Amino acid sequence: MASTLLRCLSLAVVLGCVSQLPAFGQADPIKFGKVELKDLDEKNFVADSAAEAVILCDYGRSRIDLVNNSFRVSFERVTRIKILKKSGYDWATVKVPLYKKNTQEEKLVNLRGFTYNVVGGQLVKDKLESTAVFSEQLTPNNIIRKFTMPNVREGSIIEYTYIVNSDFLFNFQDWQFEHEIPVRWSEYRVSIPEYFDYKKLMQGYQSLAVQEHTEGTTQMTIRSAGGFSGEFTHGSGREQASTETLTPKVDNFRWAMKDLPAFREEPYMTTANNFMARINFELAGTKMPGRPYINVAGDWNKISKELLEDDEFGGQLSRGGFLKDKVATIVAQHADPQARIAAIHDLARKSVKYNGMDRLYASNSLRASFDKHSGNSADVNLLLIALLREAGLTVHPLVLSTRSHGMINTSFVMLANFNYVVASVVLPDNKQLLVDATEDLAPCGMLPARCLNGAGRLVLPNDQESAWVDLTPSQHFTEYRQINLVLDEKGGLSGKIHHEHGGYSALYHRGRIEKLGEKKYVEEMAEGHEGWSIPKYTFAERATVQKPLAMDYEFTSPGGDAPAGTLYLNPLRSLSDEKNPFVREGRMFPVDFGAPMDETLMVTLTLPAGYVVEELPKPIALELPDNGGRFVYNIAPNQNTLQIVSRLNLRKAVYSAEEYASLREFYTRALAKQAEQIVLKKKS
Amino acid sequence: MRITSSVFLLLGGLLAAPEARASGIKPDYSVDALAAGLRVNAHAIIRDQDEVLTVKSVSRTVSTVRRVVTVLDEAGSEWGYILVPYDQLNTVSYLRGTLYNAAGKSVRQLKSSDIKDFSLSDGFSLANDNRGRVADLRQPIYPYTVEFEYEIVSSNPLFYSNWQPQEQEEVAVEQSTFTVITPDFLPLRYKEFHLPTGVSVAHTQEKALDVYAWSVRNLTALEEEPDGPPISEVAPCVRTAPSEFEVQGYHGKLDSWQNLGRWSYELNAGRDVLPEPVKAKIAALVQGEADERVRIRKVYEYLQANTRYISIQLGIGGWQTIPAATVSTNGYGDCKALTNYCMALLKAADVTAYCALVRADKPDIQTAFPSSQFNHVVLCVPLQKSARPDTVWLECTSQSTAFGYMGSFTGNRHALLLTPAGGKLVRTPQYGAADNRRERTTDVYIDPQGSATASVRTVRTGMEQDSYEQLMHNLNATDQKKRIADRLPLSSFSITKFSLTANRQAALPAIVEKLELSLPSYAPPSGKRVFLTPNLLSRLPAPRPMTGERHTDIWLENAFTHADTVRIHMPAGFKPESLPGPVQVKTDFGTYSTQLQALPDGSLLYVRRLQMPATRFSRTQYAAYQEFRRRISVGDKAQLVLVKTDI
Repeated sequence: MASTLLRCLSLAVVLGCVSQLPAFGQADPIKFGKVELKDLDEKNFVADSAAEAVILCDYGRSRIDLVNNSFRVSFERVTRIKILKKSGYDWATVKVPLYKKNTQEEKLVNLRGFTYNVVGGQLVKDKLESTAVFSEQLTPNNIIRKFTMPNVREGSIIEYTYIVNSDFLFNFQDWQFEHEIPVRWSEYRVSIPEYFDYKKLMQGYQSLAVQEHTEGTTQMTIRSAGGFSGEFTHGSGREQASTETLTPKVDNFRWAMKDLPAFREEPYMTTANNFMARINFELAGTKMPGRPYINVAGDWNKISKELLEDDEFGGQLSRGGFLKDKVATIVAQHADPQARIAAIHDLARKSVKYNGMDRLYASNSLRASFDKHSGNSADVNLLLIALLREAGLTVHPLVLSTRSHGMINTSFVMLANFNYVVASVVLPDNKQLLVDATEDLAPCGMLPARCLNGAGRLVLPNDQESAWVDLTPSQHFTEYRQINLVLDEKGGLSGKIHHEHGGYSALYHRGRIEKLGEKKYVEEMAEGHEGWSIPKYTFAERATVQKPLAMDYEFTSPGGDAPAGTLYLNPLRSLSDEKNPFVREGRMFPVDFGAPMDETLMVTLTLPAGYVVEELPKPIALELPDNGGRFVYNIAPNQNTLQIVSRLNLRKAVYSAEEYASLREFYTRALAKQAEQIVLKKKS
Repeated sequence: MRITSSVFLLLGGLLAAPEARASGIKPDYSVDALAAGLRVNAHAIIRDQDEVLTVKSVSRTVSTVRRVVTVLDEAGSEWGYILVPYDQLNTVSYLRGTLYNAAGKSVRQLKSSDIKDFSLSDGFSLANDNRGRVADLRQPIYPYTVEFEYEIVSSNPLFYSNWQPQEQEEVAVEQSTFTVITPDFLPLRYKEFHLPTGVSVAHTQEKALDVYAWSVRNLTALEEEPDGPPISEVAPCVRTAPSEFEVQGYHGKLDSWQNLGRWSYELNAGRDVLPEPVKAKIAALVQGEADERVRIRKVYEYLQANTRYISIQLGIGGWQTIPAATVSTNGYGDCKALTNYCMALLKAADVTAYCALVRADKPDIQTAFPSSQFNHVVLCVPLQKSARPDTVWLECTSQSTAFGYMGSFTGNRHALLLTPAGGKLVRTPQYGAADNRRERTTDVYIDPQGSATASVRTVRTGMEQDSYEQLMHNLNATDQKKRIADRLPLSSFSITKFSLTANRQAALPAIVEKLELSLPSYAPPSGKRVFLTPNLLSRLPAPRPMTGERHTDIWLENAFTHADTVRIHMPAGFKPESLPGPVQVKTDFGTYSTQLQALPDGSLLYVRRLQMPATRFSRTQYAAYQEFRRRISVGDKAQLVLVKTDI
């Protein structure tokens, strides 16, 4: 964790420093205060008619300085934005989140800003006044500095610059190139002295216009102020005040992107952050003068060890002893491992209520969370692991990143990318079962939907034995309906429906019932079915979460005023008011459902006496490419009834953007088939 | 509550607290002790709530609350958690929490380190001082019981507590009391709403103190119903307010709307001074323009082009505007600042205007009880030179709202006009069924394979255009198209072309939406027939089916008129097999009609009209209302069958 990293660093830093800006060959892409006339000319923004604003230039620089005996990261930014529409005014209000912990902090300094307008042919410049800068204390450790630019109008150019000085070297400033408005130029320059080793991860769907790496040197001066000093001196007693000059090598990086279109979110995305072009940093190691390389992040061996030794993670795993009596009772009752796991799972979730926070680390000791009966996801699941171990099972933590937190790149180790831990239990047949105890309504062995995000990593003492674990679940979004319909000669329908929700569908619907109550749930379900009345309904297996949730109900839907010679009906459309989920034409990013889907409708339709089939839809079977999914529709007469079967499967949890067009077409055709009519005629 | 442009935080209803219980007997909080009837439809039961408001002086009140709640299930778990808000004018003296198990035994008390403190950022303010203390006792096993106690000391007695013992649906109340203690020289003003029969105030006097007390017992859980009143309109409530008060040295009387308006007027008086160059600019802008309405419009357009909404709410700044001169320098302000600025600009154009307090985006104020119930301010400009009485209303926080338009945010309600003579309650503009119109013309072209294209032109006026006005001005073209696609009630389609244009010059603002749609497999031939629903886009969603008895009255608040003309161009070789007959439904709820006719050129013409006024009906009418809606549903989905002629 952070504290460990900082301990490593503080070894090296009893220094003072003179630092200098990185020596780049390239001129800055923007000079604060020098607005270009072409940016005031509306002609140059005709192509941006869809945008509310355009980032003309976003330029950031980060470097590492030595200040007051500590290294610090200094991040300087200059941003210039053209406001095109009133809806773009929000871009003139800027929020800078800052963090502090104990005596270490991030500080915003040298904030300056101007708004430029052309008024009566003259360029008018308005200054950002300090009265327009505010600070909001979000939590004891989090502050947001906010400011808003003066006199912003359609056509204004706003420009601001600030520096954030940070004591947190593990938290080197990331850079986001892409935004929800077009970006003309976005550039990030970084210069890192040889004492620090950062990993860099580029993500997104945009390419770099500039990618440069040069090497240079900088000068740093160590100032020893006399008195006792620590690491760099040997022997004892007072030291004379002295200075020493170092000339570390520096790696200078320059990355830039050009003419980026506005970023747009799409449905069935995990989180927009995953898809925006950006570069992330994580401290991998330090190499102080005269000292060996210290690996502070790096490989899984190290991370696993660190996690397992951390008091807020591995340190808790042996502390389930306070519930040993309850565990002993369960062990005595359940010899079968599956049953034992389920019973422990039940004990864990009834012991600590998940408070909605997804975390990798415990907020408290397990005992303290138990006493409160409340905790974050790690408090719950670390307790689960501890109790499973107490019950004699082989269990390992599996760390992952939730869907809203972002995806994991398995070839790139960054602990900061993880925010969640679940239990991986080794079963007697050596298979593993992933168990999470945060959801009341999910059975043992099912991860909450928010965890269905790529792969997770097993945390083992010996990382050689560890592996990535695919999180695609065995449970699907499963819907099964068996329906008996009776049609009368006026076109009225009465029906008995048996509806089962399985897997993730069951989890969702149990949640809705819990929230709404049965009565409102039924009303909500029936909404959109014109004229339905539901005189009777019953639920089954509401509490037995390992089984599908079942609902049986009856409905009637009135027909016309008089018997008709010809009856037309499309029973499937009246049963499911579905809309193609892919209304939008194109797609940039993968479609991520989290889990596969199965939907089955089995209808038996009883015809009114004296009526015969005139026309029936033709059966079809549709396939998605690469065995990605299937839709089957069948209809067959059988004496005075019709048997209809409609089955739709999406076999993958994630479809690539390239597969989007076929997915959309697949739905269009399936829904059109379900909408086809049956025609009945009265026998003459 | 503050005068901001829109309000997400309500402080009013939450303030209040505990009285040391007179008897020493500890009440029984076991779940077994609950009367069975209280559990019906309830997720939580308020076992015992004592709220005491003590008026210390004209400028200070103390509110103490003790609340014991049994949480029955997950859906009631928010009652296991409490957030006590505070700000520069309200401080929290203490917040305590105790947990009881189902047997009613105290099992845990929160330590002060368990109480968290948060900033209550409202999501739109650049700066505000709202913060909250939070105590969380939510448990994994139900039922359990929590007790919270807190005290708020307020130096803002503009607001006294409103007692709402049952402020949410699906919560029952075993017992709840409310007491106000006030010095006799500061008499309490109060008004009771929907109190159960037999419940009334107990007024006593103790030396120089007046004591008012209310109490209710055994209130069963209420449920909100579709097309019904909000819970606040049926649940018991006692509103209270001071007769006089003082905030940050500003003294006021609150015995009438006139005096409340006077206080607000004086608080903001003298803040409308503009720098000379701005005055000169405005004078030049309207120079030579005799028409009063045009002068006002020019000033309003200047305001819209040169300012934007930025909310800053700190201390008395929640009620007092920043000076107009500051707005002219910065080009931004909150609703008070922008309205005051606009008033100053109009003054420079020789037009007199008045700020008017409203309760925006929420149910109207209770006019029978003068008290501070507002969250927004607009500008009211009575025309002086007009032949008949006429008034222009201006929304000053929006850069896109049409001149003189209030809409669903501030229309159809009361406003308190702030004049030198004090406050005056007036009505904002009314928008009825004839004003809120959606007129749609559609041409559908079907090809022999059953695919179709459609051209749709929709004109929306009045409140029907409000959300489209937002869509049009707040989103870029890509997002507009996505949003429009999401709203179309079609199962499969593509939008091949679209446009939105606003007409802001008409008496009522209008937005014209033009769509070109491609509809694959819209009417696929099934054997020799083709089926289609002529009502392509305008189906009124079916109401929720009834699953039990109707308890509350029918409130139909949205007045509108929808008119549709659909022309269906059939593929060659088909003729109608059956045409749905005309439908005419005329009821007090509204009128509905459809008609389909074959035109000489072989196309079909479908005409639909639905008009619903804003009305209210007794709950006994609910079955009739459902029948009205059912007939609309049946009419809207009526099908047309075409057969091949060449067989």
